[in-house]
Amino acid sequence: MSETYELAVIGAGPAGMEAAIAASEAGVKTVIIDGLPREGGQYYRKPSQAFTASRKTVVEKEGDLLAERLAGAPAVKIFNALTWGIFKEEKSEGWLVGLYGPDVPKWVHARTLVLANGAYDTPVAFPGWTLPGVITSGAALILVKSQGVAPGQRVLVTGSGPLLLSSAAHLIEAGVEVVGVCETTRLFPKGIIYAPTMLGQLHRLQEGMQYLSLLLRKKVPYRTGWSILEVHGKEHVEEAVIARVDSKGIPLAGSLRTERVDTVVCGFGLTPNTGLARMLGCRMEYQPQKGGWVPLRDSMLQTSLPGVYMAGDGAGICGAENARWEGRLAGTAIALLTGHLSNQEAGKIIQRVGPELARQRRFGRLLGELFSPNPGWISLARDETLLCRCEEVGLAEVKAAVADGARTLGEVKMVTRAGMGNCQGRMCERSVAGAIMQACLAEGATPESVGMYSIRPPLHPLPMDFLAEAGLEE
Amino acid sequence: MRIKSFGSTLPEWQRGRSIQIQVDGKAIEAFEGETVAAALLASGIHTFRLSRKNKEPRGLFCGMGICYECLVTVNGTHAVQACLTPVAEGMQVETCREWEL
Repeated sequence: MSETYELAVIGAGPAGMEAAIAASEAGVKTVIIDGLPREGGQYYRKPSQAFTASRKTVVEKEGDLLAERLAGAPAVKIFNALTWGIFKEEKSEGWLVGLYGPDVPKWVHARTLVLANGAYDTPVAFPGWTLPGVITSGAALILVKSQGVAPGQRVLVTGSGPLLLSSAAHLIEAGVEVVGVCETTRLFPKGIIYAPTMLGQLHRLQEGMQYLSLLLRKKVPYRTGWSILEVHGKEHVEEAVIARVDSKGIPLAGSLRTERVDTVVCGFGLTPNTGLARMLGCRMEYQPQKGGWVPLRDSMLQTSLPGVYMAGDGAGICGAENARWEGRLAGTAIALLTGHLSNQEAGKIIQRVGPELARQRRFGRLLGELFSPNPGWISLARDETLLCRCEEVGLAEVKAAVADGARTLGEVKMVTRAGMGNCQGRMCERSVAGAIMQACLAEGATPESVGMYSIRPPLHPLPMDFLAEAGLEE
Repeated sequence: MRIKSFGSTLPEWQRGRSIQIQVDGKAIEAFEGETVAAALLASGIHTFRLSRKNKEPRGLFCGMGICYECLVTVNGTHAVQACLTPVAEGMQVETCREWEL
């Protein structure tokens, strides 16, 4: 038999932890579930417990405080558990959450849900991007910060957004030779327009300036308006070709430059991890400045499905602080919904959260507008470049499918198998959509007309015998 | 390459206990608390698998369990995510094995 909860929080990063704390402390019978061995998500990810550190960073201390509060809260914690599917219960009102992992229940029942699934690096396809040695900025940061391993010896950092500076600075501190940082966005004069809003977030500006000054001290070129073009190598990255790009991200002739490197770190911004929400059928909207497709939510963060709430970067990129406030709001909303808080009690908390959220969102919108995904990125791919890494589908095949009449992601998926592999399309959805739109520009194709891949359980590849067994039990 | 000095902003670390794992029959050193991916990269092994159709080398990409590029065989189990799996004494890792999912 499976346990029944009033609330299941999926994801134990900044948003999920706050939601579980707020709800469970108000008396909501809560379970919080995460695929990692411990709480924290990617933002508060710590070095392994087997390592001992001389001191803690500011972010680690912040994460420890939050982890202590979660440990003290009466929520049930389930770690090492992949949520592979969520199903509407037929008999009772509520949801059935399917889990996979060592020593974890196969199912939990929950009346309400908070999805706090975070985000991942936006994948951008360019020639050579499948070679070992091309990694995301998230992978580079995890390797350096929680594993103490450098991804290579000579590294090029490329992409767009504040994570580039953070990745480059951490690599330099780890003793890696960073040959340059290519920021595709032309920050000047665009950045100056946004400067006044930036001043409201001094601590974040300071962080950025610290990274930038480290780059300057180490004489690492920070090239804005430059992009990766292609990566060469036989078994592994050997060199990277970079070029100046125009404001649409299209490479300018005559500006090519080749760098001998063994590693290319790519950070093209973040994409909200919306797989579960889409599997459930939450209504989505396309918001490029929030990272792409995001759920429609009301002021209390409820999605189009009653009882299903979403918080944090998984519902639109806005950073860890915003995620924490959203988590608190969602947890409070559910305590109100399930009758554990009165209108008045919940109102007090909401009044405190509101202005903070507004402030975070102003800053989030600014970063989103400054660094929103560039339509020109799809032009980095050439006909033979793989867009779908899992099923090995190249741009040429996608174009051929479009020439044969395919106009949506679903149609291209059926014809080419793009998006059918292990990652469920997370790596190729944006590139394939971009390729369709580019091919159908004259017809006025839009993200909405191209649509999304449909997401079906299991969200992660699972052993067949496990699925068969789990299905029989319920 | 394991990081020796962490500069001024990162804390200094003491790694976990030194252990041995077998990678394609060869012993390599790893430290408790590392993931299989980190241990492989630290030993200079970057190709974790070959792509199914074109047999092209693939390795770590997203580093957080999203992309499924870093699949290896661990103690006979296929398609294990190297970026999420912690090393253990005597673990048998095989790279570039073929399997059907």
